[in-house]
Amino acid sequence: MAIAERPAEGVRVPTPTFHVPPGLAGWFSTVDHKRIGIIYMLGAFAFFIIGGIEALLMRTQLAVPNNTFLSPDVYNQLFTMHGTTMVFLAIMPMNVGIGNYIVPLMVGARDMAFPRLNALSVWLFLLGGLMLYSSFILGGAINTGWFAYAPLTERQFSPTIGVDFWILGIGLTGVASIAGALNFIVTVLNMRAPGMTLNRMPLFVWMNLIVSFILVFAFPTLTVASTQLLFDRHFGTRFFLPAQGGDPTLWQHLFWFFGHPEVYILILPAFGIVSEVLPTFSRKPIFGYAFVAYSGVAIGFLGFLVWAHHMFGVGMGPLANAFFAGASFLIAVPTGVKIFNWIATMYLGSLNLTTAMLYAIGLIGMFIIGGISGITLASPPIDLQQTDSYYVVAHMHYVLFGGSIFGLLAGTFYWFPKFTGRLLDERLGKIQFWLMLVAFNLTFFPMHIVGTDGMPRRIYTYEAGLGWDLWNMVETVGAWLLALSVLMMAYNVFKSLRAGEPAGNDPWDGSSLEWGVSSPPPVHNFDVIPVVHSRRPLWDTKYPELEMAHAPGTKALTRAEAVSRERERLKLQIEDAQDDPIHLPSPTYMPLLLALGLTVAAFGIAYLTAPGLLAVSLGLVGTGVVMVFIAIFRWIMMSHKDSPHIAH
Amino acid sequence: MRTQRRRLTRFLVFAALLATPLLLAACAGPEARQTTVIADGDHAQRILDLLVPIAWMALAVFVVVEGLLVYTVWRFRRRSNAIPAQIHGNTQIEILWTIAPALIVLVIAVLTFRTQAQTAEITRNPQNAVEVTAVGHQWWFEFVYPGIGQAEASLVTAGDMYIPVGRPVRITLQSVDVIHNFWVPRLAGKTYMIPGKTNYLAFTANEPGIYRAVCAEFCGEAHALMRFRVIAVPEAEFQSWVQQKSQPPAPPAAGTLAVNGLSGDPVAGQAIFLDARKQCISCHAVSGTDAKGIIGPNLTHYGSRRTIGAGILDYSPENLALWLERGYELKPGNLMSRVLTPQWVQTNLSAQEIADLVAYLDSMKVSVNLPPER
Repeated sequence: MAIAERPAEGVRVPTPTFHVPPGLAGWFSTVDHKRIGIIYMLGAFAFFIIGGIEALLMRTQLAVPNNTFLSPDVYNQLFTMHGTTMVFLAIMPMNVGIGNYIVPLMVGARDMAFPRLNALSVWLFLLGGLMLYSSFILGGAINTGWFAYAPLTERQFSPTIGVDFWILGIGLTGVASIAGALNFIVTVLNMRAPGMTLNRMPLFVWMNLIVSFILVFAFPTLTVASTQLLFDRHFGTRFFLPAQGGDPTLWQHLFWFFGHPEVYILILPAFGIVSEVLPTFSRKPIFGYAFVAYSGVAIGFLGFLVWAHHMFGVGMGPLANAFFAGASFLIAVPTGVKIFNWIATMYLGSLNLTTAMLYAIGLIGMFIIGGISGITLASPPIDLQQTDSYYVVAHMHYVLFGGSIFGLLAGTFYWFPKFTGRLLDERLGKIQFWLMLVAFNLTFFPMHIVGTDGMPRRIYTYEAGLGWDLWNMVETVGAWLLALSVLMMAYNVFKSLRAGEPAGNDPWDGSSLEWGVSSPPPVHNFDVIPVVHSRRPLWDTKYPELEMAHAPGTKALTRAEAVSRERERLKLQIEDAQDDPIHLPSPTYMPLLLALGLTVAAFGIAYLTAPGLLAVSLGLVGTGVVMVFIAIFRWIMMSHKDSPHIAH
Repeated sequence: MRTQRRRLTRFLVFAALLATPLLLAACAGPEARQTTVIADGDHAQRILDLLVPIAWMALAVFVVVEGLLVYTVWRFRRRSNAIPAQIHGNTQIEILWTIAPALIVLVIAVLTFRTQAQTAEITRNPQNAVEVTAVGHQWWFEFVYPGIGQAEASLVTAGDMYIPVGRPVRITLQSVDVIHNFWVPRLAGKTYMIPGKTNYLAFTANEPGIYRAVCAEFCGEAHALMRFRVIAVPEAEFQSWVQQKSQPPAPPAAGTLAVNGLSGDPVAGQAIFLDARKQCISCHAVSGTDAKGIIGPNLTHYGSRRTIGAGILDYSPENLALWLERGYELKPGNLMSRVLTPQWVQTNLSAQEIADLVAYLDSMKVSVNLPPER
């Protein structure tokens, strides 16, 4: 295994001593970050397809004015579930899935810091998503918009179980997200290979670290707000009911205090992917590593100061509006810095236009448009004309589809060979990229136009003859083409899994640690924990004659020279690394049981005040609690059994 | 030299191609009657005056940055396997491109704050303004003109908001149920109507016209069908409208109105309307009669409405008959459709009774010279 460091006394091939159950059992009991990453990605892709079908149904309804293909209630359920699904069940878990697989490899760790907690997260995400979707057959899904504004979501106006299932389902995925974020933070801060300082971490790891911090601070606000709403709906509180002294705008503040940072939770991992893909295929280091890393930190901080730009029309007064407008304008600065740094990374490079690279470039191109349309929305007077119109739908999809999804596709084409050992079909991938780029713009660009011409969002039908008809038809055609390109992606994955070209360890001449291990990596990732001497550890061994970065006025060192200097300094740490036993926890079903228990209890809570169902509901809560306790007890009792698994 | 020029030309053409859709967005065709880029009121005009310079800046940024991106990708695509120079960064350049966007957004911020201050001042202290209270209901707009009308009550109407041209209107925005959003794109930016909170919006219509308006905040099942009209008329015409609206409509005179081949009798229609068993007066009011319902729209002078069902049908006796007969299909979720269910209509409202009701509602008119549809 080609790793930056290899111990002098020869290769040891340690094998974990525990038994991994074969087949599906191995997946349900897994605590391996790579398998968990794959479950995340498959689950997220399934929800992405479902959310996409919802979008297609809506676009079909809107193809022509006064259409009757969908009833208003069904349409309202679809647009609510589309937003909820794409945010919570598609993009977020896809980010987490790729991060789960790649981050430990990139930092030179054998697993995440808390493997069993990691398994709990993935099961809670899946079960929370399934609970949310079960509302479709149990009485109607939530139909109030994914932002769930009170008082429309109060029981008086939304008597069905949809809102309750949304609160509880999203609550479960919220627990998953917070646990996952803590896991990432501890992994990145504590488990980096010797020599990998924070300033040598790959930018993808940086962005995941930032996102994890954002998540830990933002998500609890949503949990608190939605719990208050749950209490309003079932237990007689009046947090958001104005007639009894509650305040509906409180919900908006709480929701967007989560909701705006959430946008950065969705986009920053994609920025991280691009910051890996562009240097690799330009054969150059990232231009201005520190600027790219710290602009991410700046975006993370500023992201918490702009939430009320979603509320300029609410009547907060000109002073408050001006503050949030100013903070929102400021975000353009670090974002602009990133874009310029990416272009400069390619400048004077040798660009290999693979599919991954095309998607990364596509992200830059589309995000520029999303960023520019964001500037007008950040200006309160202009926002009063554009908010709640299709202009926002355009803006938001340029950021989240042209940004996040393009980034995730870049990441998929980039790392698929590492996940599977096989390359995705590049020819098909490039055709798909161009089709998707055209279809994406056909679908979403005209939305700027109809929005500017006064078409409101979230309407299931519209009148003919207002200048919207042609553009809506174009958007619908675009949406179907977009669906075709997603289908091509699915086909490519399916085909390449069976018959893709073998990838080898390092198909792209990568510079980060994951390309130094086999594809897919062994269960323990690294036979020997690598030692890192620079931001591009793999290039130290592959291109020892290349110059290192050096401060102005100092003498340039080749990578080989720099490495030998570093080794002196790191001697002690290297020895530590060699002595590290391979410590992997054994497979267990307890995280799954715990997640199931919480889900059963959540179902019970949803029906607590349903007439005649109190006994059933209490039974469910009781069963769930018992399952949770059994799981926690056995989880704790098994921990000590891990220590013997030392192969060294 | 020649190849360089050709490269430049190609680049410019490509940049222009990318910019075209943006320019298209700025143009509103003759059909765009609900557009934000034609301003017929001062509020909308101030926003447009802010948008235009920002849009030009945005276009310039778009062309430059996308151009740079496309040029870089084209120019540096891989030609050989040699490893290019390893450039790690350049602090001066990076500081430069941190400051450049900061300066651009600074200019935008200053322009923004200026517009905000102007609008805030006008809203706080409009000169000689007409006061209107607009109330959002699921899914229709109610308009109250406090202090106008008969001594004991304000002037209450729904669906059509009459305002004078050239004089500020200050609208007090409220809601009785969920959050709604008051939007007349060609006159003013939108403002929320929030239960338990009062918002204000002030604007002046510059041109007479019938302006399209909608609820812009998702407010439940029939949100898409919650529309209204703002009818801006010259001051004298507005005073005449106020004068007429302040009087209860005259009792219906004997006569007939042809509705779908039946002949409706307004006098019989009023009797049906006021008959408690027919349910109309549970929710609706007509001033000067015993109908005092407050749940639904006030139907005084209904014959002069521009639309039926909060903007979903043009006003005509035939459409009104259709609304009474099959309202549950036209506007699902509507409160009235919970009473006027298919079975209820079947057993309680004959076609003749509907024709009579239509004749009655149509008989109550105010006479106003209507401005053109905008």
